[in-house]
Amino acid sequence: MQNRRDFLNMLCRGSILTGLAATTGILVYRSVKGGNCELGSSCTNCGKSDSCDLPEASLFRQTVWQLDPSKCIQCGRCAENCVMSPSAVKVTHVYAMCGYCDLCGGYLKPDTKNISTAAENQLCPTAAIKRKFVEDPFYQYTIDEPLCIGCAKCVKGCGAFGNGSLQLQVRHDRCVNCNECAIARDCPADAFSRVPANKPYLLQGIEAKPEERI
Amino acid sequence: MKKTLAIVFLVFLFAVQFMNSYAIQRFPKPEFESGYVQPETLLPNPRAEMLAILDIAVLIISLSVVSWLVIKKRNRNAVFWMSVFALAYFGFYREGCVCSIGSIQNVTLAIFDTSYLIPLSAIIFFMAPLVYTAFFGRTFCAAVCPFGAIQDLVAFSPQKLGSRLNAVLGVIPYIYLGLAVLYAATGTDFIICRYDPFVGIWRLDASFGMFIFGGILLVVGIFIARPYCRFLCPYGVLLNWTSRFSRKHITITPAECIQCRLCENSCPYDAIEMPVTTKNPEDKGTMARKLIFITILIPILMLAGGWVGSRLHEPLASVNAKVRLAKQILNPVTEKNQPETFEIEAFKSAGKQQSQAFAEASVVLHKFYIGSWILGGFIGLVFGGLIAGRMMTKHRTDYTPNKGTCLSCVRCVDYCPVKLPK
Amino acid sequence: MKQKIIIISAIILLLTLVAFMVKDFFFSKPDNTNPYKFELDDLRKGDTAKAVFTETLQFKTGLEEIHGIAIDLENQIYVAGKEGVEIFNSAGKTLYKINTRSTPQSISVNGNGYILLGIQDHIEIWNRDGKQIARWNSCGPEAVITSIAVQGNNVFAADAGQKVVYRYDKQGKLLNKIGLKDPATSVPGFIIPSPYFDLGISKDGNLWVVNPGRHSFEKYTFDGALLISWSKASMAMEGFCGCCNPSNFAFLNDSLFVTSEKGIERVKIYNTDGTFMAIVATPYQFEAGTKGLDLAVDKQNRILVLDPVKKLIRIFQQK
Ligand code: SF4
Ligand code: SF4
Ligand code: SF4
Ligand code: SF4
Ligand code: SF4
Repeated sequence: MQNRRDFLNMLCRGSILTGLAATTGILVYRSVKGGNCELGSSCTNCGKSDSCDLPEASLFRQTVWQLDPSKCIQCGRCAENCVMSPSAVKVTHVYAMCGYCDLCGGYLKPDTKNISTAAENQLCPTAAIKRKFVEDPFYQYTIDEPLCIGCAKCVKGCGAFGNGSLQLQVRHDRCVNCNECAIARDCPADAFSRVPANKPYLLQGIEAKPEERI
Repeated sequence: MKKTLAIVFLVFLFAVQFMNSYAIQRFPKPEFESGYVQPETLLPNPRAEMLAILDIAVLIISLSVVSWLVIKKRNRNAVFWMSVFALAYFGFYREGCVCSIGSIQNVTLAIFDTSYLIPLSAIIFFMAPLVYTAFFGRTFCAAVCPFGAIQDLVAFSPQKLGSRLNAVLGVIPYIYLGLAVLYAATGTDFIICRYDPFVGIWRLDASFGMFIFGGILLVVGIFIARPYCRFLCPYGVLLNWTSRFSRKHITITPAECIQCRLCENSCPYDAIEMPVTTKNPEDKGTMARKLIFITILIPILMLAGGWVGSRLHEPLASVNAKVRLAKQILNPVTEKNQPETFEIEAFKSAGKQQSQAFAEASVVLHKFYIGSWILGGFIGLVFGGLIAGRMMTKHRTDYTPNKGTCLSCVRCVDYCPVKLPK
Repeated sequence: MKQKIIIISAIILLLTLVAFMVKDFFFSKPDNTNPYKFELDDLRKGDTAKAVFTETLQFKTGLEEIHGIAIDLENQIYVAGKEGVEIFNSAGKTLYKINTRSTPQSISVNGNGYILLGIQDHIEIWNRDGKQIARWNSCGPEAVITSIAVQGNNVFAADAGQKVVYRYDKQGKLLNKIGLKDPATSVPGFIIPSPYFDLGISKDGNLWVVNPGRHSFEKYTFDGALLISWSKASMAMEGFCGCCNPSNFAFLNDSLFVTSEKGIERVKIYNTDGTFMAIVATPYQFEAGTKGLDLAVDKQNRILVLDPVKKLIRIFQQK
């Protein structure tokens, strides 16, 4: 009796362990081998090509969340839905795309009467954008990151009137990389995706090269 | 050679793409004359990938140490300190992500969606605790899972619930597990993560609602020990079943039970089963009748469950973003000041075809149809099993922990007066 | 007894949590209000008192994308777009279709009916039978030809990439460059943050160039001397909004500018000294985010607006 029970136990245990091993095997096999890589503009770590030499396509890359600014419609949920408060999504200024405009659509309220840095003229609800004169007729705009709440108001303004140099991004110094990003599931534009951790930004207009990693 | 060619080709492709987008995306910046240097756009790095290896190492080492403490040392104190460590490391330092409970969904998604590449750490966090449980019982729950650890700390005055209540509430995790797998497999949502009660506490930062949720659970946990583990945790279901067939398992007594009943009330989780002395053993006839009844009942319940599930597949699927979008396209809400939802706005600005959206939605809907048959059948099976379990009388001579529900916390051991001779 | 109450209330709490999860997951709708909405509606509305134009005709083209519009002496309409040019009569009926292989960004027609196309960094000349007549040299790797105008023997091309205007002769020989910054002659230099840069010849033969970054119009001699300029920067209806506007313009009669803007999509009329005269089209007539409303004016003083988003040629006439 006792022996039979032990044997049954062993059998069940054996099948559970085999099942686990098989699942692991499949998952590992899949990441090692696959079909064709759909060469996009950025590597999504698709794992579909076994001859891919891109550094970001290595096996078992950790992934992080990032949003694609070209899909974003500036709905404001990025400010509200992140598990962090204020949000880990903040605006990122791609200087390389900025027109350094005097009449900056991202900085000034659209109904501004005269261009100045007065508080009532600023579009940003937290006054997180700083304006500095460079030379006629150019002004530099910088983001005071701790103040930004990722509301995307300026992004909309810059997209409508400017070059789209202000773009929302998940800032990885604040993001805790939730298993499922709380914004991703509610983003109406489906702009969020998991990206390889060594290419963690999806900015428009510049190659996002992060600094040396530790 | 081929490889080099391929690289050259790749580089070329990228160069072409880059130039094409150049004119549109990157318009020449102003030519500054005052010597102004354009600042760099600062992009902070995410957590270094090497640290994922550290997480894995800490997980494996803690599992090993706790298993050793539970099976060999039988030392509650040491287990307690290990759980404090788990709370500190996996909870507060790692902020609870990725955890084994949530990894169910990663594994499911990776199985069903080949384009999702699962990180190594998620695989290991899913597999390792199950493997250890297959050998040593639920030592993971004892002192490695931060969820268990935080609830264990607040279990000040655990009350006994009685076996019936335990059994009925114990069905919830199965349903939760089924739903979690359904939604992960269809790529809809990670509901375990969405309703993770403690993540706000780990991060010391969350919305008010999330804090309340975690707070209430902890308050409940004062009186009902580890409510999440026993009545919600979907990973607990897997551990429970693995643990039933574990090779070794904690025993209350190191030698022979002397039926002193001292340990009877020591388990905060109602996991100790009393001896069942069969006074009047059932005759063969009733046994056979019961068996036949159960073998008929379970398939019927499964079929019924599956049928009910399949009727519900549309409401179940309505959570999916693609299905929701298709619905909104079909009947747009026209409220005042809100001509269209953000979803519709985004859909329009992406310039996709309506037919495409509908096609995508119907694919998802079909998945849900199949999925909800399976889910319904599974829930039917669970109820069948519940009934069967309560009908069959068991025979037991000693006070033993239930291998499925015992969380290996080692509390009961200290109550047992039997000591091994030195 | 007390124990029972505790257990029951704890279980009720637990079940409440489960109920909350179910409700939140299945029955809550995502919030569709944006507390941080970027309010443009007031400005888009503007003051409609000066809207003295109505849309009298619109027609589709067979091109996949459309970029530029021009009118020839016979009042025919030329539309440049993806890999081709389509020619219409003044009622919008297709007369010819030309395949140009590459995609022109700008178009102009000279007196002999030759079509001048600005294709990325160079100019090509085609006839309406679809034959390429000439291909001028590239203006440089960064050049983006966004506008062409012809006046007698002169061809003017606006290069948004290198922020300069070129003057060619008919054979494509570069005569001189106009508008390079020069403090000595107080030429301010063009500020062009985005690829919209237009120029035009008024009926009295003067060269006008938009300086979008300064929200101004500048009048040059053919040799490049700055004569006069006027500017109007404002988000309000009477000025040019955003960081760089107007994006396109055309001449109405002799002395009126028809201008188009992006950001707040609108088409308006100014006189030569920059006085705001009238509204041709309000933002409500365009999809939000429309950029590159190219303009042309035909013999009957109808204003032709190229709408690249709706992919229409839209004709406006005075009421
Ligand atoms: S939720 Fe999506 S659409 Fe909304 S602001 Fe964030 S990225 Fe943009
Ligand atoms: S407007 Fe919003 S997104 Fe932009 S800087 Fe301010 S807070 Fe950040
Ligand atoms: S992953 Fe989490 S922390 Fe990061 S942006 Fe999303 S919700 Fe915020
Ligand atoms: S969100 Fe919660 S459940 Fe999901 S992986 Fe993180 S800790 Fe686990
Ligand atoms: S039952 Fe679940 S939550 Fe509880 S300790 Fe085990 S794995 Fe963690």
